[in-house]
Amino acid sequence: MKVKYSYLEEQFEDHEAIFNAFDDLIKTGDYTLGKPVIEFEKRFADLIGARYGIGVNSGTDALFLSLKTIGAGAGDEVITSPNTFIATVGAIVASGARPVFVDITDEYTIDPKLIEKAITPRTKALMPVHYAGHPADMDQIMLIGRKHGIPVIEDACQAITAAVNDKCVGTFGITAAFSLHPLKNLNVWGDGGIIVTDSEEIRDKLVLLRNHGLETRDQVAIFGYNSRLDSLQAIVGNHLIRNIHAITEARIKWAQKIDLGLAELKDFITIPRRRANKKYVYHLYMIMCKDRDELLFHLNQRGIEAKIHYPIPVHLQPAAAFLGYKQGDFPVAESQSKSILTLPVHQHLTERQIDYVIEKIKEFYS
Amino acid sequence: MNIQVKYLDLPKQFKDERFWAKLKEQFETCQFIMGPELQKFESRFAELCQTPFALGVNSGTDALFLSLKVLGIGSGDEVITVPNSFVATTGAIIATGATPVFVDVGPDYNMDVGLIEQAITPRTKVVLPVHLTGNPADMIGIMEISRNYGLYVIEDAAQAVMASINGKRVGSFGDTGCFSLHPLKNLNVCGDGGLITTKSKETYETINLMRNHGLKNRDEIEFFGYNSRLDTIQASIANYVMSNLQSIIHQRIKNAELYDNELKGLDDSVTLPPRRENVKQVFQTYVIRVKNRGELIEYLNKHGVETKIHYPIPIHLQRPCQKLEYKRGDFPVCEKQAEEILSLPIHQYLSEEQIYYVAGLIKNFYGNK
Repeated sequence: MKVKYSYLEEQFEDHEAIFNAFDDLIKTGDYTLGKPVIEFEKRFADLIGARYGIGVNSGTDALFLSLKTIGAGAGDEVITSPNTFIATVGAIVASGARPVFVDITDEYTIDPKLIEKAITPRTKALMPVHYAGHPADMDQIMLIGRKHGIPVIEDACQAITAAVNDKCVGTFGITAAFSLHPLKNLNVWGDGGIIVTDSEEIRDKLVLLRNHGLETRDQVAIFGYNSRLDSLQAIVGNHLIRNIHAITEARIKWAQKIDLGLAELKDFITIPRRRANKKYVYHLYMIMCKDRDELLFHLNQRGIEAKIHYPIPVHLQPAAAFLGYKQGDFPVAESQSKSILTLPVHQHLTERQIDYVIEKIKEFYS
Repeated sequence: MNIQVKYLDLPKQFKDERFWAKLKEQFETCQFIMGPELQKFESRFAELCQTPFALGVNSGTDALFLSLKVLGIGSGDEVITVPNSFVATTGAIIATGATPVFVDVGPDYNMDVGLIEQAITPRTKVVLPVHLTGNPADMIGIMEISRNYGLYVIEDAAQAVMASINGKRVGSFGDTGCFSLHPLKNLNVCGDGGLITTKSKETYETINLMRNHGLKNRDEIEFFGYNSRLDTIQASIANYVMSNLQSIIHQRIKNAELYDNELKGLDDSVTLPPRRENVKQVFQTYVIRVKNRGELIEYLNKHGVETKIHYPIPIHLQRPCQKLEYKRGDFPVCEKQAEEILSLPIHQYLSEEQIYYVAGLIKNFYGNK
């Protein structure tokens, strides 16, 4: 049986509605920061429970522009975790600041107990990652941020509608970055991102920064960038956002089913602790497994597209050599990179396919 | 009776069934990031610009930024450019950490080659001319000076796709050429998009990584990069528009000639766009210099004709440039032009009748003065 990781083909079976909306857009020529963008920003902010949404070119740019809004640059440090998609760290480096890594917990997110040790007078921001759709420990992180007067920027690229105590991630920090990349729970047909914030001042600054710093057609208030969510992509976003709760519920349902199905394999498989006060949205359903590489091969051979996110932690990438980190600096992240495995849990899978995945994993360990 | 003459007519652009067929075809592949339509567009565009390589990126701004980055430009470096461009030219330089150094322009609105040498310092790394209005800057002169001083050349060709000097296309002179696919450009997409052309395989390979997070493969990062990709869906739109590009430009050139002919008698009041032999201008904008500009704009507007000014405030006089310590009077040609320039509608959907109408209004306006 085939269990595909990507579901883009199934996702847009009802694409006629989107093409009709494209047709309307083309009749107006409103391609840049047009009505669909304004509508999407409003809907997205409402979904998350933030006051403002600002559509940008990508999740990467959402992080970068958030950092620029607080003035991060050369000489500053930004604290984050090493088990993330490269863009988290890339955005910090692009701003001119230096990434400072802190190890993670066995729940894949930054370990709050280790943050204070990493703070220096140069720390400009804390950037927790809600990795895989697992919310970081925001209560503790916010306390640390407040105590030291350091702003928190949430990397929520993988965590749309994930929550802690019913409060969506993205509403804790001064800004949060979301990605609309095709593989995300809420996605568009290309690159896209969105920043949320409650601060009018930050919103106003971001609106300038993403659009060349132009306060009118002819007047430049600050030098900025070109990082806009295309109207065309916002149309796709508006179409899908109506289904986001159903998408998320389906993922949660499959995750819980696999959790249950694999519970008896606890000698071989570690399922991260599920906390009652957290809502996990399973952008990635990740478990830790013995003989991971063999299991991966076993599943791939049987038509199941399992993946690894990611086999090399960022601090051990050649690109990070200039930061001076070495093997052993972040033992939890390093150890997890050898055991983590991501299973398909997307909304277009069937119960039979999920049963098949569980069965094949059991078969491997039996 | 008034005739409506819009500055731009984007809604006319995609009425064709083939456009929708193309879009659906791309959509059905579900390859939304760096898909085959992008590669196809890049190779067609490279051929169009007479360069071996072209790379799709998120915008013309990013094309400039990534070009500067690939050459290692950053804090402490100076980049020579002009003050009469769209702000993104300077914005991209600032974004790298380098300092923009402006030189004044000539009567053709482009960099005055005679002024470049006195702007060169030991920190100068790049000369970044802009082919403003779709009229190529004097690339022969700029390349010669840059060779003599060992400077890189990045062409801001955002407004000038297919413009050429002696048959050699812009974007093929410098180390890189930077193009924009913004909706207002001659070759456009339905959102943001840009391209970089280059002759250097090494530059091509580095930008290819740089635009995609520095990812050598899914799991390995060569260096920290950026996310600046031309959406595949936009590339498929660009492929569609590209099939019509020759005729778009042909039409704009024809429109410009009509204006030229109609307005040439108004020597005292209207200065026409300069023409050079062996140079192909593509008229992204048709810019004239006029007396009593404010009144003329109002008069045209009253009669249904939209005009624009590109741009009324030179970059060195914009607020964030105060830090760079420029002041009024530093670039007298550019500053004078900013008070007189006017862009007339020139797009490919104009009819001859509309152009005669606009020209007739301008003649009336000055006839009654």
